[in-house]
Amino acid sequence: MNRTILEVTDLRKDYSQNLGLLAKLTGKTRVIPAVDGVSFYLRENETVGLVGESGCGKTTIGRTVLRLTDPSSGRIVFDGRDITALSRAELRPLRREMQMIFQDLDAGLNPAMRVRDILREALTVHERPGDAEIASRIRELLEQVNLKDSKLANFPSELSGGEKRRVGIARVLAVRPRLIVADEPTSALDISIQAQVVNLLRDLQKYLGLTYLFISHDLPIVELMSDKVAVMYLGRIVEMGLTENIAHRPRHPYTQSLWSSLADKQSIEVSRRVSNGTGQRERRAWGVFEFEQPASGCRFAPRCPLYEQQGRPAVCTDPASEPPLRDVGKGHVVACHFA
Amino acid sequence: MSEPLLAIENLRTYFYSRAKRAFIRSVDGASLAVARGETLGVVGESGSGKSVTALSAAGLVTAGPGVIGGRIDLRENGSGYNLLDGLEKYSRVTERDGRVVAVEKDERGWRARSEQLMAGVRGKKIAMIFQNPRSALNPYSTVGSQLVETIRLHTSFRGRGEARERAIHWLERVRIDSPRLRFDNFPFGMSGGMCQRAMIAMALSAEPSLLIADEPTTGLDATIQSRVVDLLADLKAETGVATILISHDISVIQRLSDRVAVMYGGTVVETGRADEVLAPEVKARHPYTAALLASIPNAETIRRKSYLQAIEGDVLDTIDVPRGCRFYGRCRRVTDAIRENCAGLEPPLAEVAPGHKVRCWLYPATGKA
Repeated sequence: MNRTILEVTDLRKDYSQNLGLLAKLTGKTRVIPAVDGVSFYLRENETVGLVGESGCGKTTIGRTVLRLTDPSSGRIVFDGRDITALSRAELRPLRREMQMIFQDLDAGLNPAMRVRDILREALTVHERPGDAEIASRIRELLEQVNLKDSKLANFPSELSGGEKRRVGIARVLAVRPRLIVADEPTSALDISIQAQVVNLLRDLQKYLGLTYLFISHDLPIVELMSDKVAVMYLGRIVEMGLTENIAHRPRHPYTQSLWSSLADKQSIEVSRRVSNGTGQRERRAWGVFEFEQPASGCRFAPRCPLYEQQGRPAVCTDPASEPPLRDVGKGHVVACHFA
Repeated sequence: MSEPLLAIENLRTYFYSRAKRAFIRSVDGASLAVARGETLGVVGESGSGKSVTALSAAGLVTAGPGVIGGRIDLRENGSGYNLLDGLEKYSRVTERDGRVVAVEKDERGWRARSEQLMAGVRGKKIAMIFQNPRSALNPYSTVGSQLVETIRLHTSFRGRGEARERAIHWLERVRIDSPRLRFDNFPFGMSGGMCQRAMIAMALSAEPSLLIADEPTTGLDATIQSRVVDLLADLKAETGVATILISHDISVIQRLSDRVAVMYGGTVVETGRADEVLAPEVKARHPYTAALLASIPNAETIRRKSYLQAIEGDVLDTIDVPRGCRFYGRCRRVTDAIRENCAGLEPPLAEVAPGHKVRCWLYPATGKA
């Protein structure tokens, strides 16, 4: 088994909201726990998918493990070294080993620089290679991301979405990272281009031995890319395990509803039944949730179909018993009293 | 197909891109039709012209030069009229080697005439819902008062009281819980899914004959998306409003559409019944549609962890439109027998089966060309 490259223990990140001057004077603050006690690890050359609805803290986790955002508490160990409290200067040499691909295609591409200069800058951040080496490295990068060298003279605004994404990936690869946090790398792309990028990311992993933390809400793509999947709900991991188990044998009611909503959207049979007017689909009511104050007890209880089925058991809303992640075999963990 | 409610023919809408110093032929000869009570799904990647086609039909294109020519026929109660009637004379296009080099357009005259034609149509007969509901709702006014305004303007419920009751009725129909409370909410106090529901209520409250839904589920969370799709399916069954549904999400199109039009490079390359065009096993199919369907991960690719079949190359930018087929540069099914045609001559939209048309030289028209 490959060794662990990243280990995160009980990570927390609170954002405090600015409520204005009066609130400041009276000492009133509103704290939003974006990430609320998350633990997971990544093994070398493996992909862990992170899924969940928007606002559940996926991106915050990605940014925090790279120390682009400082955690409120918890421990981040990268390659056997605790990086939770490292200073900026101490982090700098580590930066080249862990990189991020941002959702925004334009992020990291200076609009006033040509592609050649963007790549050159990335190559010279950590090293001082000679001109000949820069030229050969640029050629190598273009080959890796499958980009024509005629594009080197272009400005980012002259590139298509797929080309921008390729340049973004080339720029990340320039420093020869080992861990890449890919934050929705395909969501801004067209379907035909999405497939190109997914194939590219998988090739790169194979040839360069990369490790990915793959953040996405596109479930089929996560399923295709990942070895393991972690499902997040309101700042917590509610279920984690091997991809096929999460996708096909989910235990947590939230995971079940995520994957079944995908199936619902695709199922033509369902729509036929509805349009014929026969057999109304049962509709689960989705309660409104307050993000700032997650329900006491299990935070999914207000939307949980299982909670309703079980006759609203008190344990689900007991403030003292938020369900912990428990192991149900083969490293599959789930945070539910009944699953 | 019965008499279409709306028929778009050879629509052309161009824009000028200052960055590229060129005219973009966003919609370039698109033709499609939607019948009463039918849902037409329009699939295509970004830049294929699907949204601009819809905006043109609703008379909402504002950037220049905009709509250049074509027909948009709206038929109702036996009488029909062309929403672009007499507009062609306001613009003149100069073209050289597949590139538009100049467009002269009398913008003022065009707009005045267009507004005359669109009065009583936009919002009333053709209603639209957009991708981002929050930006389409007025942030300074409550959801209820916006609904009341629409209802009083477009329906026979003119009195404040009855319009209010009607508004609450519509909030209920789009399944917004506690509609009487939500009536007084501002858009910012509501979630994205809720805003989209309010938007749908507003569009339908005018009792339109045609609803244009432009990416109604994009940008919503997966769980919310499937609920909005459910809602649209139910409303379709209840109201029978004809719908043009635009989406790049093929699963949504599959679920809701009766017929489908696939767009590429500003024109329609394939059209037919949804279950025929998007079915995995149909043979007669445009290579683009086939490639598009193949590039989406399905159960089989996921199980085998195989590579996705990507379409090489980039989506056609419609500045330099090739003389031949628009998909030629990316097409993998060009054979030597048809290569000359593919490169030099745009294929016609030919009928390959009843109601199923494909714009490709692989499928010569059965019967008359």
